[in-house]
Amino acid sequence: MSEPLLVLDNVAKNYGAIQALRGISFSIGRGEVVALLGDNGAGKSTLVKIIAGGLEPTSGRMLFEGKEFLARSPAEAKAAGIETVYQDLSLCTNVDVVANFFMGREITRKVLGVPVLDERAMEAVVGKALANAGTRIPSLRTKVEHLSGGQRQAIELNRFVHWGGKLVLLDEPFAALGVEQTRRGLDMIRQVARQGIGVVIITHIMQQAFQVADRIVVIRHGVVAGDVARNKTSPDAVINMITGETLAGAGPAG
Amino acid sequence: MSPRTRHSLELVLDNLVWFMLVFVLAVFSMFIPNFFQLGIFANIVEASSVLGVMSIGLALVIIAGHMDLSVESVAALSAMAVGIMFCSSGIGLGVQLHPDWLMVPVSLAIALAVGAIIGVINGLLIVRLKMSAFIITLASYIWVRGLVLVISGGRSAQDLAPAIRWFGIQRLAGLPLTAWIAVACFVIFSLILAKTPFGRHLVMIGGNETATFRAGICVNRNLIVAFVLAGAIAGLAGWLLAIRTSGATANLGVGLLFNAFAAVVIGGVSLKGGVGTLPGVYAGVLLLSAINTAINLMGLPANFTQVIHGLLVLAAVLLDAFKQTIRQKLA
Repeated sequence: MSEPLLVLDNVAKNYGAIQALRGISFSIGRGEVVALLGDNGAGKSTLVKIIAGGLEPTSGRMLFEGKEFLARSPAEAKAAGIETVYQDLSLCTNVDVVANFFMGREITRKVLGVPVLDERAMEAVVGKALANAGTRIPSLRTKVEHLSGGQRQAIELNRFVHWGGKLVLLDEPFAALGVEQTRRGLDMIRQVARQGIGVVIITHIMQQAFQVADRIVVIRHGVVAGDVARNKTSPDAVINMITGETLAGAGPAG
Repeated sequence: MSPRTRHSLELVLDNLVWFMLVFVLAVFSMFIPNFFQLGIFANIVEASSVLGVMSIGLALVIIAGHMDLSVESVAALSAMAVGIMFCSSGIGLGVQLHPDWLMVPVSLAIALAVGAIIGVINGLLIVRLKMSAFIITLASYIWVRGLVLVISGGRSAQDLAPAIRWFGIQRLAGLPLTAWIAVACFVIFSLILAKTPFGRHLVMIGGNETATFRAGICVNRNLIVAFVLAGAIAGLAGWLLAIRTSGATANLGVGLLFNAFAAVVIGGVSLKGGVGTLPGVYAGVLLLSAINTAINLMGLPANFTQVIHGLLVLAAVLLDAFKQTIRQKLA
């Protein structure tokens, strides 16, 4: 892999005297799937928020496509090509599926110089995207509050697959999904990565990490406790890294 | 349930307040003598124009998940500013512009600007200081009314310039132009809320502010615009109020805020944000106005109005909860 897509260089975050991240360094290549593992409170979600523009790091720097990068808001991160699926779903349940899919990126046409929502065009795009992914939702005009947890998560996943970008961050994306939907979700991730998009996936489930990831990065107490290729490690070794029994491969990515 | 019955049931639920309005008008027409005439209906629309315009601004911020308690005081301040400038007796300065019609755009611009400025102050404080809209606009409700008292010295302005009064007198299809202005406002803002990205974003912000922020929508900017709109619309309501009363008094419009809240809630807007449409709010305004007119016609003491409005709000909230249960069964 030539130039990495995103490089984290000693990224740290303090909340007052509490150090949530003590200096994280690793990198993600194009088309690479990195599984981010770690115990509760290890700092995984904080790290995702820093990359996605929800939080500013206290120190350290990031390089995105070789250039200095810091997103001050999710809008900036999105503009740079970073899509995020958060643990707590980011859907507006009071509007329909189409409105959620296009949140902040609505298709409009001009009527007397005023931008007007082009509902028909948007509905067509959403219908196609969901059909491609094999997601079945009775009506795209249903308000999301009337959909099940699984259907909601499917909308979020289809949304990131559709918009793509350059880097996708997934914070426990399969928490509400059944077995079959999870399998399809993992397929989606491989499919996205084949398009040359970098993927960071946070998960608690070792099996998922080994199914989908090229590389496994373990965070422990706010530092990288392990950074290994999937085919050079085993679930037991990774668990040891998470609990801190070994420090195999500690430090920044080579 | 077939898709068709389901669809028609949804339609009824979505427009319940309109059915209520028709029902109430039908009942009044049957049981109250002299109610069923064109003049009465025109009067209902006419009497609701100030309240209607004010409810639009209030509904916009409530749909966006916030609140604006200051609309009543803002309308009073705008009315007072117009009154002092263009009234010829009382504390009015009697400013004359030539040609006469020039006073219309100038007075309107003053009213809108006064409202917009207070809207900016509200919006900036709420967004930048991340304070509760309830507290900030409650403060505005008090200090803006105070400002009305200060600049008027507690006295009133009378005899608004005829060129401006013209809007309250000139009729088109049986309704004064002021009523048409209110109707036009409802049409325009209904379209903005339902058909433009800005309107869609307001609804989504009201539904889940975090999600819209993460999706890259400028939540703060949208909210400030909503508060500025609410202020400017309240300013327009004040302008209409000044025309209606041909001047301004220090206690002009007291109590309108609660009627506006009642109209918004009856119109199907949820105080939790994210739910509601402006046509519904207009039906709510007309419903209140119809009940007032009925009370007048029956010769009941006007004091009953408040009791009935209160019960109506209660009924609207209960009905909203009932609609939610039906919808859940539909899904």
